Amino acid sequence: MRTNRWPAAFALLVLLSACGGGTEQETLNVEEGQPTGVEQARLESTKKIFYSIPSPMETAALLKKAGASYNKNILNDVTNVDKYTAASKQALNLGIYGADLSYASVFNHTQESMFYTSCAKRLADRLGVSSAFNDSTLEAMEKSQNDRDALLDIISETYWEVDRYLKVNDRENTSALMIVGGWVEGLYIATQVAGAKSTPELRQRIAEQKISLGDLISLLATYDDSDPALQSAREDLNSLQALYADVKIGGGQPTSTTQADGIIVVGNDGETAALTDAQLNAIRERVAAIRNSYIN
Amino acid sequence: MRIERSILSASVLVAFMVLATGSVQAQCRSFAKNKCVPQLAPYKFNESFNGAQLAPGEEAEVNLTFYSGQEYRVMVCVHQILGDVNWKLVDSNNKIVFESLADKPKTHFDLKANSTSQMKVVVWVPPTKGQSDMVHTGCVAIMVGFKE
Repeated sequence: MRTNRWPAAFALLVLLSACGGGTEQETLNVEEGQPTGVEQARLESTKKIFYSIPSPMETAALLKKAGASYNKNILNDVTNVDKYTAASKQALNLGIYGADLSYASVFNHTQESMFYTSCAKRLADRLGVSSAFNDSTLEAMEKSQNDRDALLDIISETYWEVDRYLKVNDRENTSALMIVGGWVEGLYIATQVAGAKSTPELRQRIAEQKISLGDLISLLATYDDSDPALQSAREDLNSLQALYADVKIGGGQPTSTTQADGIIVVGNDGETAALTDAQLNAIRERVAAIRNSYIN
Repeated sequence: MRIERSILSASVLVAFMVLATGSVQAQCRSFAKNKCVPQLAPYKFNESFNGAQLAPGEEAEVNLTFYSGQEYRVMVCVHQILGDVNWKLVDSNNKIVFESLADKPKTHFDLKANSTSQMKVVVWVPPTKGQSDMVHTGCVAIMVGFKE
């Protein structure tokens, strides 16, 4: 009789752990509430917290608005794709090629977009995500080569599908590494472009990545810390965060007004985020070192 | 033999529950993709999925960064089984910038950022009225679109 209880106990344990972490972004905070019953108190004590990391597409669009130029020479070489045999490298480089794809597409370099799509698809195949990124995706992109908006929509949809597939199939660590790869590549591109032509707007965008870096580190803290690849990524990001420690990103008192058309205008009365030359150089060198360790 | 059978039945049960958990997440994502993303138009979805199954009394929050010079649409999309929910956008001083209450719900609002701002969207599902043993859960998604 005793042996029959183990399966039920084990199953209950798994069920409880599954309830505690529906997505990789969730954490459980226990706060004091006004219990009206045991169940109600449990419900009221549950808060789900999400971390919103800018996608490669959003980052590329911000760079373009900030006056960045397109430079294909800084992107990951497409011939590198066959070097990535470890799953962790495949995941990181799926994020990196995805960011390169977004950068090329936002700047309307269709031919390169197709190359990076092929690289991303090959890595997705090896990671077993081919159902989210299949031949019909490639066909749709080829058909939309001359329609930039349609192409961006397909890339956006594919990114969403790959991320969805990984999370739904309990491969959240792979998803996290893909997000890290994409974020690192976005910062790498921004710092390389700023190295060639440094505008105040570009420096501002690079300085503001201090915020998303903090969110990304918080997000990774919610994952399994026994995964060596994630542990290594955490250390990489922590080293970048140390360089960002003295970077000023504005602050001041928040302001908000509502226009006649109902649109809310938000801001603050602090200074615009900025980087010194020394800060920019240090961040550029560090992110280049991290990114090179991922692509090689 | 009994132990083997027990292990087998446990494995089947665990596999079922893992699949069920994944299925719930998949449903929430499908709901967000099909029901919510189209409503962000003409803004471009920022590809960040912030969604979960919530029950009455539960709360969710997401920290958002709005970059200077950009225009955004912020939307909270809720499965009908939950009814209407309360949600608000608060600034770094916890001052309410926008609020939608369950008795006068709004699905979204648009904003412009004059300077880069960190804000927080908080959603909470009102407790169900009356006594019931049934606890309904439904998908709640916090979505953001931006203008290129």
